[in-house]
Amino acid sequence: MDDGKKMKGSKNRLYCVITIIIFCILLFPLYWIFVTSLKTEQEIFQIPPTFWPKVLNTRSYLVQLENGDFNMFRSFGNSLVIAVGAMMISIIFAVPASYGIARYSFVGKKAIILCFLITQMLPVSVLLTPLFIMFKNLHIYNTLWSTIFADATIGIPFSILILKNYFASIPRELEEAAYIDGCNKLTAFFRVLIPIAKQGVIVCGIFSFLYAWGDLAYGMTFIIDQEKRPITAGIFNFMGQYGTKWSYLTAFAVVTIIPVALIFIFMQKYIISGMTSGAVKG
Amino acid sequence: MNKIKAFFRYGNTGYFFVLPAVAYMLFFVGYPIASNLILSFQDVTLRTLKAETKTFVGFQNYIELFTSDNILATSLLNTLVFTIACLVFQFIIGFALAVLFNKKFTIAKPIRGLLMMPWMIPITVTGLIFKFMFGTDVGIINYFLKGIGLISENIDWLTNTHSAMVAVVIANIWIGIPFNMILISTGLTTIPEELYESAEIDGANKFQVFKGITLPLLKPTIESVLILGFIYTFKVYDLIYVMTSGGPVNSTEVLSTYSYKLSFELFKYSKGAAVANILFIILFFVSLAYLKFAYTEEET
Repeated sequence: MDDGKKMKGSKNRLYCVITIIIFCILLFPLYWIFVTSLKTEQEIFQIPPTFWPKVLNTRSYLVQLENGDFNMFRSFGNSLVIAVGAMMISIIFAVPASYGIARYSFVGKKAIILCFLITQMLPVSVLLTPLFIMFKNLHIYNTLWSTIFADATIGIPFSILILKNYFASIPRELEEAAYIDGCNKLTAFFRVLIPIAKQGVIVCGIFSFLYAWGDLAYGMTFIIDQEKRPITAGIFNFMGQYGTKWSYLTAFAVVTIIPVALIFIFMQKYIISGMTSGAVKG
Repeated sequence: MNKIKAFFRYGNTGYFFVLPAVAYMLFFVGYPIASNLILSFQDVTLRTLKAETKTFVGFQNYIELFTSDNILATSLLNTLVFTIACLVFQFIIGFALAVLFNKKFTIAKPIRGLLMMPWMIPITVTGLIFKFMFGTDVGIINYFLKGIGLISENIDWLTNTHSAMVAVVIANIWIGIPFNMILISTGLTTIPEELYESAEIDGANKFQVFKGITLPLLKPTIESVLILGFIYTFKVYDLIYVMTSGGPVNSTEVLSTYSYKLSFELFKYSKGAAVANILFIILFFVSLAYLKFAYTEEET
């Protein structure tokens, strides 16, 4: 159906040109920080600005390898641990829950779905102070765990709402065939249903990872030691102390974007499906 | 034991799958919401954080917030201005782009995909990018505006009480455009091609087609995009905190940044909790309106 009415000729060319112009304007900020991160501090302040570095300067990246105080790569590692941890917790809890919601009917099911929907709309501010106090009492304040647990509260409801649609779309006959072949409920779940819902699980994994990767509030509030903080909090700190060191700051920003860009390039179809099914259908 | 077995036998197997997730959310979300409510009726500061018994002060925190200074009123107003300004522009631009990308020219799909980038990158980074671009001397935006002759002197975008809000709104619109575009795009593809064809045969012009077919059929999508956009924008925290921290002189202070400041800079935990609750209550009612609407939409 997609190929029904393809545009041809000069009209097609006109649309392509317009689109490329829009593309360049909208994505200019990303190009701009990338270029800036490769300039010398002097060239950044130069007027008129240069749109490609005259002197290619990779020092802003290299210096981070040596520098101990605001070590970019350590906070990158922390972010990775936090995001992967939050992603795993989200999937472990969301997969069975979404399966239960899709396959079984029980009292209070609607209310549970409603609660998951509402938590998605919750502002972080409501949870920050009580979680801060709670983590202090649980003695996980100022550890990576605090942020992992908090970030998973965003991933779990999102994943459940997405995955329940995937499980609901799997025909029941398939499951019944598995029972006949000697599976019980649990093995049917692991051997038959999860492989089929794999795409949905990947969507949830990606989004749970990205939510945690992009979080600033939790990481900044629950972890105070600089060397344990995630990269977003690292950038924020760096901005506060060296507000005008734009070559370092933009290099920091580029490094933070790298995993996001990789996910984006290799898994674009999952992202668009996650955005549309997550938000519209609920 | 028999009772437990019976419980699972009679069609309650669902609970077994759902319980772990529900327990997790109750512990890390449900309980905190309740304790945030209690906290806002107490008087907890840095000194009394570890105290055994906490004084209960009733609505004192809320009353003080509304009467002592104007910061709460200012933040409430700023939050509204910020949300509505963002919604209007990101919706219009997103809509226009969705219509454009719905045409089937060669590069429509790959470019539309790439335009999702701004929505994906960490908001802290977005804040940093725009702080850099809105810089007074270093910023490319001032350079550009001077180049086309709109301004003669550099504007102090982020340190001027009048322009700071404009800068954060523009940054947030940049994040919101892809979200609006992709949802409206999806909505557009659900409108059957035949409708347009028959309208063409009947001799309708482009404007009539848009008003008579596109808009009414897109109404549910438009409504959900706007309400979801409202909810997401109303609670924006990181972007403003990174770009201006609510300043200068509270000119970009929104409820979320004000709540954070009270709790974690001034250590007035109870006051911060009270502001967070005000934010929460507003969003709760908007969410309910959305859910009610989304459910009736699904059933029809």
